[in-house]
Amino acid sequence: MKKYLAYVLTVMTLVILGLAFNTAAEEGITDTEIHIGQWGPQTGPAAPWGAVARGTDAYFKMINEDGGIHGRKLVLHYFDDGYNPAKTMAGVKQLQEEIGMFAWVGGVGTAPGLAVKDYIMDKKIPWIGPSAGSRHWIDPPSKYLFNTYPLYLGDAQLLCKYAVETLGLKRIAIAFQNDDYGKQGLEGARKQLAKSGLKLVTEIPVNVADVDMKPHIMKFRKAKADAVLLFVGPGHVARLQGTGKAMQFTPQWMTASTCGDHPLMMAITKGLYAGTISSTFGMMDPKQVGIGNKEVSQTPSLPLLAKYKKDAYGKFAAKEERWGMTFSTGMGLVEPFVEAAKRCGRELTREKLVAELEKIQNFNGIMGTVNYAPFDPKDPRCRIGQQEVFLLRAEADGSSTILTDWYQTEFIPMEH
Amino acid sequence: MVDFLQMVLSGIAVGSSYALMGLGMVLIYKASKVPNFVQGEMALLPVFISFMLLSTYKIPYYIAFPATLIFAFFLGCFLEFAILRRAKAPNILGLIIITIGMEMMLLGFVSWKFGASQRAMPFPISSYDSIMIGDIFISSLDMLTLVVALVIMLGLFLFFRFSKMGVAMKATQMNENAAALMGIKTKQIRMVTWGISAMVGAVAGLLIAPVLVEPYMMWDPMLKGFAGAVVGGMTSLPGAVFGAYIVGITEHLFGGYISIEFKSVVAFVIIVIVLCIKPSGLFARHYVKKV
Amino acid sequence: MLLQENVLMDMKRDYYEDVQIFTSGTIVFWLGALMLLLTLFPFIAKNYYIYVANYMAINVIVVVGLNLLVGYTGQISMGHAGFFAIGAYGTIALMTHAHFPFLLALPCAGIVAALLGFLLGLPALRLDGPYLAIATLGFGITATQIIGKIKLFGERQGLHAPKLTIGPWHIQTDKDFYFILIPITIFMVLIARNIVKTKVGRAFIAIRDADIAASTMGVNLTFYKTLAFAVSAFYAAVGGGLYAFVLRFIEPELFSMFMSIMFLTMVVVGGLGSIMGSVTGACLLAFLDLQLRNILEIPYFGEWIKALSESYFSLTGVSNIQLIIFGLILIIIMLFEPLGIFGIWIRFKKYWMTWPF
Repeated sequence: MKKYLAYVLTVMTLVILGLAFNTAAEEGITDTEIHIGQWGPQTGPAAPWGAVARGTDAYFKMINEDGGIHGRKLVLHYFDDGYNPAKTMAGVKQLQEEIGMFAWVGGVGTAPGLAVKDYIMDKKIPWIGPSAGSRHWIDPPSKYLFNTYPLYLGDAQLLCKYAVETLGLKRIAIAFQNDDYGKQGLEGARKQLAKSGLKLVTEIPVNVADVDMKPHIMKFRKAKADAVLLFVGPGHVARLQGTGKAMQFTPQWMTASTCGDHPLMMAITKGLYAGTISSTFGMMDPKQVGIGNKEVSQTPSLPLLAKYKKDAYGKFAAKEERWGMTFSTGMGLVEPFVEAAKRCGRELTREKLVAELEKIQNFNGIMGTVNYAPFDPKDPRCRIGQQEVFLLRAEADGSSTILTDWYQTEFIPMEH
Repeated sequence: MVDFLQMVLSGIAVGSSYALMGLGMVLIYKASKVPNFVQGEMALLPVFISFMLLSTYKIPYYIAFPATLIFAFFLGCFLEFAILRRAKAPNILGLIIITIGMEMMLLGFVSWKFGASQRAMPFPISSYDSIMIGDIFISSLDMLTLVVALVIMLGLFLFFRFSKMGVAMKATQMNENAAALMGIKTKQIRMVTWGISAMVGAVAGLLIAPVLVEPYMMWDPMLKGFAGAVVGGMTSLPGAVFGAYIVGITEHLFGGYISIEFKSVVAFVIIVIVLCIKPSGLFARHYVKKV
Repeated sequence: MLLQENVLMDMKRDYYEDVQIFTSGTIVFWLGALMLLLTLFPFIAKNYYIYVANYMAINVIVVVGLNLLVGYTGQISMGHAGFFAIGAYGTIALMTHAHFPFLLALPCAGIVAALLGFLLGLPALRLDGPYLAIATLGFGITATQIIGKIKLFGERQGLHAPKLTIGPWHIQTDKDFYFILIPITIFMVLIARNIVKTKVGRAFIAIRDADIAASTMGVNLTFYKTLAFAVSAFYAAVGGGLYAFVLRFIEPELFSMFMSIMFLTMVVVGGLGSIMGSVTGACLLAFLDLQLRNILEIPYFGEWIKALSESYFSLTGVSNIQLIIFGLILIIIMLFEPLGIFGIWIRFKKYWMTWPF
């Protein structure tokens, strides 16, 4: 009995010791490497957005091939959280404590991001470019959180402005997803239309789980809408447009930046997407292409984007990966980070990175102009990053026509 | 009035695809006494295979679709033979967990093999064309789904009534030991039931696919089909179809008149109310348990 | 011989021996060792593992409660994410708006959930099997939808958990929270064990085995069936309230049907009708849930899977192997032992005890 007990106690001690790999947290920087973390849904219903993390990965590999940042290679640790905040938190904590990340970039989703935001901010770790245009990142602003994704409010503002002023439509309706993204669309549309003395003729919420869009289209038809704003995901856009066509309801469809990937939308709507106007924040430059001219996203006219496609996507993406908006968003969102890291020089610390980021003015990568300012807890604009969007129209041959120039949108603070 | 009729018609249209899922679930419930959570994924894999055949290998429709159905049949048989049968002394919860496990495996497998992006399925009938009856629309795809659901229900009815295998299946479901004593190979019968149910599911999947193809597309129809089958009675095939129509129509009427957000919720509330009145569903016989 | 009798033939010599919480000295010893391990754990393990332990503990609470309903009373519930949500939202709402202290808000939210559980139990009196599953599923969906509409609960934007202070003690890190969470978990598990061993537990088991016979013996079916729902709802709500503080941010989409199904899976895999089984089932599956994402990091296996993905499957979807492995584990456990992990343990124990026969 005593021998048995001793044996068991030894095993228990070994198990306890095995858990005790208590290395001190590193700063994520060595002489040769910079460790960056990112999360994204690689599985689950939101899996198409996993391309963002893979885009960042390909981008970093391209930079490493060119010599890295002052001799240091960027190592991206991205993990799958399945859009589940509990798993996001698990992954962030594990990476931060076992390897130690220098900074976090990207990160798809408002809910997963909000779950880990306090943890990352408390540890004073920079987080650049969350991949969700939510006001929560900047309202109230945090010193270490630099937003790059244009807020969805701006998309709604520009779309409504264009519909009313350029197209002369008066009856505007909206289909919005029942979350932060959809609600921002609703608020932005209301505020913009109020300026012209108009109101939304009908506002239809869409549950993400719903696949049957007939009741929604019936309501739109009844309200006789001329233009319908679609602040929903690409799958729902396809369903709404398909059901609309079947019910012979074809208004001017307008979508937000999440559906700016026109080749994908044309494919999944089997061509119905032609004529839809969507707001977007990158992948082409109105100044480069010219307003009223067309661009095909597979052959980017923007030189920097073409370089990314050749060097990052061409060499490092998986063979079944699509070249599209989500993939290049992964690259565009972290460009300010890379730029600021380069400006820091060889002496790279978190505080220096934050200082360099704050100095970024009129930075143009493959997306719009990015501006930061020194930290002011009362002014969200110091961390808002990009505030411009422009409009595209999808054409039947797969190209996109640029409709407007970059438009600086107005920031509307959240109601508290 | 037109609105009301339109809503009812749309409800019937969407109810047909729920009905096909419900039929599959009732078939399996009668055979294996388990609510089958892998019904959706048994349909998903054949649909993706069919997508692959049609887009990558450019095989014509009239070969691809029957091939898909045959694949679905063998998939159903395989799942029963390899996995469900191996469960020893199963109780209903254990079997449910096994079906959930199979569901996760198939879903993971499809997502792994095909990637997560959404795709469009080539299909001879477009979901964008519609037929007009007066002022009321029904899309051609929905019409096809309705016709197919009724045809399959009729076909299953005739199969169970008049064919030897169908009668054997009914006998196995009623009393397995007696059927075995009469010389019916009950294990094979169960396997074939799963195969047929998978085929029905694959038909449902193929009719849902033209709208959008993505790995998680079968969850909602499966749930609604399950709910419909429960309302109609898990042991009754016409009950499953009727229940599915009730779910579809209620959803649409509520969504049209009151609130779109809560339409699924109301469907479930109605189901609970119906079940309170008739605990085994509308059409099933409520067996009193022996003490 | 006496040891064998106790284990295999469950011979109890009097009523008081039967209602003992701990059946023998060895069990008390091992539980004591476990308590010691649990106390030392946060001092030697990294913060991340404490987070995992917190997550596992929360699942243990919910699953033990769910087992009272599913394992002991024989009713099936696929809507417990709804009670979990009520607990989470209720605790935060009571703390921020009614300024309740945490240790009071938690049981109050639990009682609210218990009342709703009681209401859900009423239609459940007439239903069983898949019918009850759909009814409870409907409840789960309804609860989250309704919560998503209430402005007090932040609607769809979600809610942040307030700062937690118990007495003079500020709870900030996972380690601090661990020292509240584990005692609460142990307490709830002990209560569940107590319930199971006494009159109420017997009534539950009687209802599961032969409810008509039970009612002829004087067991009030209505009372006990609804009580089972209420108690399991209480447990789920307590788990939910604690979850809100582990995650620090909740929103309605979290409490989905997948979560309910996961709870049910944990109960069945652990072992129906066994408290220790629920604890192990919950711990195992919660651990897998959080850790399977690391499967691609395993030295040779990860590389092999990636190479396989490149040739036959898609590299972009390679993370889905988590789902495949999880499903495979479920199937293997349930095929080998329908009684779940506890059943495996019993078989192991019997083999050990009766060797070499």
